[in-house]
Amino acid sequence: MGPARVWPWRLLLGVIFLATAASLWVAAERVDYTWRWNRVPQYFAFRAETVHRAAFAGTVTDVSVQGQTARVSLRGDQGESDTLEVAAQAVRVGSGELVSEGDPIGSTFRWRAGPLAWGLWTTIWISFVSGALGLVLGLATGLCRIARNPTLRGLASFYVELIRGTPLLVQIFIFYFFIGTLFDLDRIVAGVGALAIFAGAYVAEIIRAGIQSIPRGQMEAARSLGMNVRQAMIHIILPQALKRTLPPLAGQFISLIKDSSLVSVIAITDLTKSGREVITSSFATFEIWFTVAALYLVVTSMLSQAIAWMERRLAVSD
Amino acid sequence: MIEVRDLVKVFRSRGQEVRAVDGVSTRIEKAEVVVVIGPSGSGKSTFLRCLNGLEAFDSGHVVVDGADLASKKTDINRVRRDVGMVFQQFNLFPHKTVLENLTLAQRVVRGRSKSDADAKARALLAKVGIAEKEGEYPSRLSGGQQQRVAIARALAMDPKVMLFDEPTSALDPEMVGEVLDVMKTLAREGMTMAVVTHEMGFAREVADRVLFMDEGKVVEEGTPEHFFKAPREERTKLFLSQVL
Repeated sequence: MGPARVWPWRLLLGVIFLATAASLWVAAERVDYTWRWNRVPQYFAFRAETVHRAAFAGTVTDVSVQGQTARVSLRGDQGESDTLEVAAQAVRVGSGELVSEGDPIGSTFRWRAGPLAWGLWTTIWISFVSGALGLVLGLATGLCRIARNPTLRGLASFYVELIRGTPLLVQIFIFYFFIGTLFDLDRIVAGVGALAIFAGAYVAEIIRAGIQSIPRGQMEAARSLGMNVRQAMIHIILPQALKRTLPPLAGQFISLIKDSSLVSVIAITDLTKSGREVITSSFATFEIWFTVAALYLVVTSMLSQAIAWMERRLAVSD
Repeated sequence: MIEVRDLVKVFRSRGQEVRAVDGVSTRIEKAEVVVVIGPSGSGKSTFLRCLNGLEAFDSGHVVVDGADLASKKTDINRVRRDVGMVFQQFNLFPHKTVLENLTLAQRVVRGRSKSDADAKARALLAKVGIAEKEGEYPSRLSGGQQQRVAIARALAMDPKVMLFDEPTSALDPEMVGEVLDVMKTLAREGMTMAVVTHEMGFAREVADRVLFMDEGKVVEEGTPEHFFKAPREERTKLFLSQVL
């Protein structure tokens, strides 16, 4: 048998993708829906207009345009004077014009982040903070799971079983309504806390499996050189275990980014909740949900790229 | 240097009891090379692992340089600094370079500076004949090279005793010689050594004393001449007839 030919299968793959896209397009054409993709970008960023008004009644003495900005000089009836800088294309007065107090002189424009951008940012930082906390919590719990002390082991197992055995949505509600009320927690703290505790349980199991996958001889070699358990863990076992657990940890953090959408139920304006809010004003239901899905995909694939890069870097000793 | 009195180690699993080390008493003097031989499952490796506390024993005493491992007051980590160990499977740290394998414990345990540790490590790598490999990771080395690095790693701690647990058993035959040569050099230099091995040639040539173990007990003990030429015990004769 000669070398397997790859290109027919690549071609088939392309045909399948094209056929799927085409059938989706046909289906989209058949439903009675007007696609308005042009409405989406304004929810990422828009130019906010600030109208500048005359502070007193008087006369416009001068309008001088310098590139993009115009300087409008005013002289008041009581001898006050003022100079306003506004955008050149939005000057509403001419030189010599009489103005009353509160009359619009012109506008300035600034780019502002829209709700989708804010939602995306919220999702990213909530995922990052709860992921970092979850990693610390998971590391500690994972170490407790393999500790010799039965109390630590029992506590760690209980925590892991409790969190893995209940739905995240229910945990978020309990954390917000019950624990949040007990300790007077902000909704953000409650949301991040619930996500971190949830992630910690899964990370703990990944770490435990990673540590147990390191051959016993590594610990024995470290101990026989006079290192105590802590030194052996820090220098020998954990670096190897973390390297092995990088792929499953990546999967866990990608899940966490997606699971963070559930905090929208306690009114945290993450990407999902922003999407819902934007739909109520834009009526572009399909477009916004597709956009939200694409944004999640961008964030998760950037994370998996970053982890893949780390894996390649750590592979030098293999 | 090491005194062992009535050492007992019992393995218990699923209701079965195996007395891996069953009442062993012996002494290893300073600068003495003691070779422990015996059939597999005779408890010789377990005995060796009790000498630096890698295996917790059930009763008896192991006194290393005055410190009794059976005593709760003994800091086992302090004892192990002075007892180097070489394993059958090398157990090099795969995520560290050869040089880092030798310097890590020096710095973490002995608190030496980087330059001191590096100098010590380089000298030892030169001694075991692999100075040019200091920047490599262990996975790039042959078995014989890895075991020589492992010996150098143990020596970097300036141990008073070296324990060898079947150091050549996992090696391809052509690499056994290079590891045994390093061990012979160490013996000549006056290192105190306890060696569990199947290499009868090494035992005959280097050992000051040979211990023959079977079923957890020391069956026969003596100089190589006595042991290989005129063994007293029937069990010893049978074993020697099978391996020689």
